[in-house]
Amino acid sequence: MSEQPESYEAAVERLEQIIDRLDSGQAGLRETLELCREGRELVTYCVTELDAVGEGLKELQLDELAAKLETTPTES
Amino acid sequence: MRRRARVSLFGEVTSLSRSKAQAYFELRDAEGAVPCAIWLNDLEKLELPEQGLRDGAEVVIGGGPDYYPGNGQASPSFFFRATHIRLAGEGDLLARLEALREQLRAEGLFELQKQLARPRLPKAIGVVTAESGAARRDLLAGLRRRGWAGTVIWAFAPVQDRRAAPAIAGAIQELAATPAVEAIVVARGGGSLADLWAFCDETLCRTVAMLRVPVISAVGHERDSTLIDDVAAVACSTPTHAAEAVVPLDCHAARSALTRSAASLRRAGEGTVGSRSRHLVALARGPARALRRERIALNQKTREIRASSERGLAERRAFQRRLAAVVLSRAARRAAGAEANNRREALRRAEVAFRAHEPEHTLERGYALAEDVAGEPVTSAAAAIAAGRVRLRFADGGVGAEIDRDGSEG
Repeated sequence: MSEQPESYEAAVERLEQIIDRLDSGQAGLRETLELCREGRELVTYCVTELDAVGEGLKELQLDELAAKLETTPTES
Repeated sequence: MRRRARVSLFGEVTSLSRSKAQAYFELRDAEGAVPCAIWLNDLEKLELPEQGLRDGAEVVIGGGPDYYPGNGQASPSFFFRATHIRLAGEGDLLARLEALREQLRAEGLFELQKQLARPRLPKAIGVVTAESGAARRDLLAGLRRRGWAGTVIWAFAPVQDRRAAPAIAGAIQELAATPAVEAIVVARGGGSLADLWAFCDETLCRTVAMLRVPVISAVGHERDSTLIDDVAAVACSTPTHAAEAVVPLDCHAARSALTRSAASLRRAGEGTVGSRSRHLVALARGPARALRRERIALNQKTREIRASSERGLAERRAFQRRLAAVVLSRAARRAAGAEANNRREALRRAEVAFRAHEPEHTLERGYALAEDVAGEPVTSAAAAIAAGRVRLRFADGGVGAEIDRDGSEG
């Protein structure tokens, strides 16, 4: 991917812009192909982001997390 | 000192203890505490409900300053001698709440959290709530309904006593300090304003307001209005609503939308390339088609020209034939006169010449022609000797003659 989107919402916003532009029919061939490429990358990014929060809810407890961090030796 | 004016104080009872004659406690608010004591006799006369005076109770006390001179074992001390205590009512709490609310609003603390960007799809969220309670269950159910299955970091804390506010504030701060946490939910079920009083704590609310991580409050029910609702980024009436606020994106709907977007992109890409390909193919066929058209036109022209030229040739030939005939006839006609004259002259000359050579004419001039018996001319002496006899033809007739071999010369 040429440039990682700043966030999921930024990716979706850009994706909507791209689809609006393509739907307008005003994009030339080179621009269309470039937009399609960028759009596909954004879709892939968004799916990856969704997958990251779709593979099973993980529950942690702050106390345990803090205890774990405290026992982890500090990197020197 | 005991004659000083009586005043009313408002606060939360803490460190309650009893001796044989008195009850001791501290009356605490956000700014500090006052040591208090009440004679048990006075307390009994007040007929407070059972366990009315307890740690964490919000009370209004009446009384004035007092002094204990101490004794051999105990140190002297100043304290507030309560002669009257009543449990704080909603009115008292609301009055305090409104004053505090106005103060925080005036400081601009209500806006800080609302200006923070909230991620639509956080990967990890922090939740402060009671370990056992419907809020925890409802929040999880709400998150699952949105199709969200990221990481929840629980920070369990008491949500209803005087320890609650500092514990909640501490938990929120710790969660905010955890890098993965992108948003924090503070959740508690409904209750009276006194039950929810911890969520109106000034220190807690100031802590929330100053955080750089968005906090979603879901404290009490819809009609309950706590101060944390005012300072939080979003205030929700139920934990279910909090789930929607902390994960604004409905993951199920988002997946469907992405599928549609991907299809749109595919259509756009294929459509554009397809239409342009067809156009290119049409363009590529253009020259061949034009050539074919030109060739057909050319062939047609060629046929026309050939037909035309054949027609023209035939006409020309016919014309030439006619012309030649005319020319010839004219020439013949022209030539006919001169030719006849010429021919007549030539004939005349030929006649003259012929006549000049005619043997008879020569004979007329006196010559004689020797002929053999067959009538063939004898033109030499040898032929005459050989013939032996010849016939001499004169202009006026012929006579026979014998050749005298002896009289021959040569």
